[in-house]
Amino acid sequence: MSAGGAGGEATGGIPQNQLIALGTLGGLAGVYGGHFLSVASPAFAFIGALGAICAIVWGSAAVRRVASYGLGTGVPSIGMIALGMGVVASMFGLAVGGIAGPIVAFIIASIIGLVVGVLANKVLGMGIPIMEQSMTEIAGAGTLTIIGLSVAMTGTFMFDAVLETVVATGYIAVIFIAGGMAILHPFNANLGPDEKQDRTLMTALEKGAIAMVIAGIVATVVDGASAVPSILIGVFIWYIAFSKYVKLVHRDAYKVLGTGLLPTEEELE
Amino acid sequence: MIDVAGIIAENILYIAMVTLGGMLISWSVHFVPVGGAPAAMAQATGIGTGTVQLAAGAGLTGLVAAGAVMAVSDSFALVIASGAVGAMIMIAVTMIVATWVYVYGVGVPPASAKVDYDPITKDRQDIYVSQGTEGHGLPTVSFVSGVIGGALGGLGGAVIYYSLMSTSTTLSQSDLVALASIFAVGIFFVNAVIPSYNIGGTIEGFHDPKFKKWPKAVLASFVATLMCAFVGILTIGGL
Amino acid sequence: MEPLMGMGVLALMGAAATIAGTTEDLESDVGSQSNPNSQVQLAPQMMYPHRIYNKAISGEPPSNALICAIGGTVASVLMTAGLSVIFAIAIGALIATAVHGTYCITAYMGRTASQKRFRQPIYLDILRSHTPVMMGYAFITTFCILVVSYIMVAVLAHPFPLTLLAFIWGITVGAIGSSTGDVHYGAEREFQNVEFGSGLNAANSGNIVRKAESGLRNGIDNSWFCAKFGGPVTGLAFGMTVFLSGWVTAVFNPALSLTMGWLSVAAGVILVLLMIIWNRKIEVAARKAFGPYKEEEEVAA
Repeated sequence: MSAGGAGGEATGGIPQNQLIALGTLGGLAGVYGGHFLSVASPAFAFIGALGAICAIVWGSAAVRRVASYGLGTGVPSIGMIALGMGVVASMFGLAVGGIAGPIVAFIIASIIGLVVGVLANKVLGMGIPIMEQSMTEIAGAGTLTIIGLSVAMTGTFMFDAVLETVVATGYIAVIFIAGGMAILHPFNANLGPDEKQDRTLMTALEKGAIAMVIAGIVATVVDGASAVPSILIGVFIWYIAFSKYVKLVHRDAYKVLGTGLLPTEEELE
Repeated sequence: MIDVAGIIAENILYIAMVTLGGMLISWSVHFVPVGGAPAAMAQATGIGTGTVQLAAGAGLTGLVAAGAVMAVSDSFALVIASGAVGAMIMIAVTMIVATWVYVYGVGVPPASAKVDYDPITKDRQDIYVSQGTEGHGLPTVSFVSGVIGGALGGLGGAVIYYSLMSTSTTLSQSDLVALASIFAVGIFFVNAVIPSYNIGGTIEGFHDPKFKKWPKAVLASFVATLMCAFVGILTIGGL
Repeated sequence: MEPLMGMGVLALMGAAATIAGTTEDLESDVGSQSNPNSQVQLAPQMMYPHRIYNKAISGEPPSNALICAIGGTVASVLMTAGLSVIFAIAIGALIATAVHGTYCITAYMGRTASQKRFRQPIYLDILRSHTPVMMGYAFITTFCILVVSYIMVAVLAHPFPLTLLAFIWGITVGAIGSSTGDVHYGAEREFQNVEFGSGLNAANSGNIVRKAESGLRNGIDNSWFCAKFGGPVTGLAFGMTVFLSGWVTAVFNPALSLTMGWLSVAAGVILVLLMIIWNRKIEVAARKAFGPYKEEEEVAA
C-alpha cells in the first residue's frame, strides 16, 4: 500500500457533475431496468451489471478527486469505508424499501457518507475541502454497485431473493470486494504525476466488466437470471476497455519498449 | 413498511452494544503499532503495513473465531472472549515473525524513536535508533500495545456480531449468520478507517503522543456506528 | 469430532495455510506490491529508473481478498452445480488467477505511464515474464486458502459461508504478508547497497539496487532472494495463525462445556504471553549483539 497523491486537486477531463449524473441516473436505470425486464425474460438481468458499471466509473472518479489530496494512508482505505457503509445501507434499503428499495438504500448511504465526511473534516481535522462531497459520492456509488451486481446475480432486487441467493451463500463478499476494488483500484493503479482522467476511468470500466463477468458466473446456478448474456457482454466490454486502456498507456507513457537497457544519463538530464 | 419504533424499542440494548463495539474497534486501532510504508523499509517503528489492513486482518480473524464459538455456545462472555483471543493470536504471531525479520533478516534491534526509555522494560531506546530513521522493529512496549489493540478489536467485532445475531427476528439461522457476519465486516471496515485518518496512518502504540488523539476518533466512530447500528438492526429486526 | 481426527484436520489446514502464506509473499515480491513498492515508485523521481515490476493493487489485503473471494464464489457455484470439490476449487482458483493477471497488468502499465516526466519506460518483456509468475503464485495462494476455508465449512462446521471465509482469510493473509515478509524485501533486498544492519537512512530513499548478479535486477531476482527467508517466515506466520487459533478450540472444545470454552480462552492468552516473552528475549539478544549506534550519554527519562 502506498500513500496517496501529491496534495492538490486533480484536474482535467470530464467534469465531476457529469459523472455524478452518469453514475446516479445510469446506476438507478440499470438497477430498475434489470429488475423489471427480468420479469419478462431472465436474459435481461445483465442490465443491472451495466448500472453497476456506471456507478463504478463514477465512484472511481470521486476516489481520484479526493485521494489526489493525499489521505495520510493508502488510497484503498476510502474504498473500504465506502463499501462498508454501502453494504449496510443497501441491505437496509432492499429490506424495507420494497420497490423503492434501491432509492432508499442510495439515500441512506448518501446520508451516512455525508455524516462520515463531515466527521472526517470537523472532528478528525483532515482538512480536505471536498471530503464531505466525495464521501457522499463514494458511499452512494458503492451502494448502487452492490445493488446492481445483486440484480445481475438474481434478476431482482426483492430482498427475499437477494437474501437467499446473494447473502446466505456469501456471494455478497465477492460483490463487496470486486465492486470495491473496481472503485478504488483505477486511481491507485494509475497513481503518479502524469495520471490522466480518461486512463483512470478506462481502468474503472475494465474492472467493472470483470465484476460483471463474476456476477454472470453466479447467475449460472440462479433461476431468475441468465448467465450467458452477462458473461458474454462482460467479456466484450472488458476486451474493448482493455484494448483502449493499452492504447492510452501507449499514448501517455514515456516509452514502451520490448526490452532494453535503462535510460542513459544524458537521456535523464 | 416495518414497525420502526417497535423494533428499536425491542432491540435498544443491541443498538447500544453494536455502537459500543464500533467504538471499541476505533479505540483498538490506536493501540496497534503500525509504521506504514516507512516501517517496511525499517525506517519507522512498528509493523510495516497500513493501519486499516492490519486491524481488519486481526479483527476479522477474531470474528471467525467468535463465529465458530457462537455456533456451539450461547454464552456472551465466552463468544467475545474467543473473538478477542483469535485476534490477539493473529496479531501476536504477526508481530513475532516481524521481529524475526527485523532482527535476523534486516539486522536492526527493535527501537522506538518516540520515547527515550521503553515505559515497560525501562530500556534505553534513542541510541539504538539507526541514523536517519524514525526507529525500527517492535520494542516490548509496542508489542504489548499491539496485543491490547488486537484484543480490543476482536472484542469489538465479536460484540457487534453477537448483538446482530441476538436481535429478535424471524430469519432462518443460516440467513441470519450470513447477514450478521457481512454487516459485522462492513461496520468493522468503517471503524478501522476512521481512526487511521485520525492518526495519519502511523502510530507506535500507546506511548506515542498521537495516542492522545483517540477521543476524536472514538467520537466520530460513535456517530458513524450509531447510524450503521440503527440501519443494521432495523434490517434484521424487520424481517 | 474425535480429538485425534480434529488434530489431523487442523494439521492439514495449517500446512495449506503455510503454503498460502509463502506464495502470497513471493507473489508480492515478484510484483513489488504493498509498502516496499513506495521505493520502487519513488526511484525514477530520484533519477534511478529501473526494470522492476511496479505493481500496486490496492495493498495486499484487498488484492488477496479479491482473488480468494472470486475463487470461493466460483468454487461454490460449481459445487452447487454438482461438481467435485477438488475440481471446483481448482477451477475457482484458475478464474481468480486470470482476474489477478489483469489487475497486475493495469497496475504496472498505469503506474509506469503516470511517471512519464521521470522518463521511466515500460518494458514489455518485464510484463510478459513477470505476470505469469505472479499468476502462478496467486493460483497456489487461492487454492490453499480455498482448501482451508472448505475444511472449515465442511469438516469443522463453521457457520460462515465459504465465500465469506475465503474473503476473510484473504484479508488476513494479505495483512500478514505485508507485515512480515515484505519487510525482508523492502528493508534488505531493495537496499543491499548499504551496510547490513545500518537501517535505511531517509536520505537513501529511492536509491534502490537496480543491478543484479547478472544484468539488470528485476522482480524475479527479488523473489529468488526473498524465497530464502521472507517468504517461508510469512508462511509460518499465516500457518501459525490458522493453526493456533484453531488449536485452542480443538484441544479445549467449547461445544463440550463452558469450562472447556474458558480453558480454550486461557490457552490462547498463554500462547500470546509466551510470544511477548519470546519477543523480549529476541529484543535483548539483538540489542546485545548489534549494540547501540551512538555513544551512550545520559538523557532525562
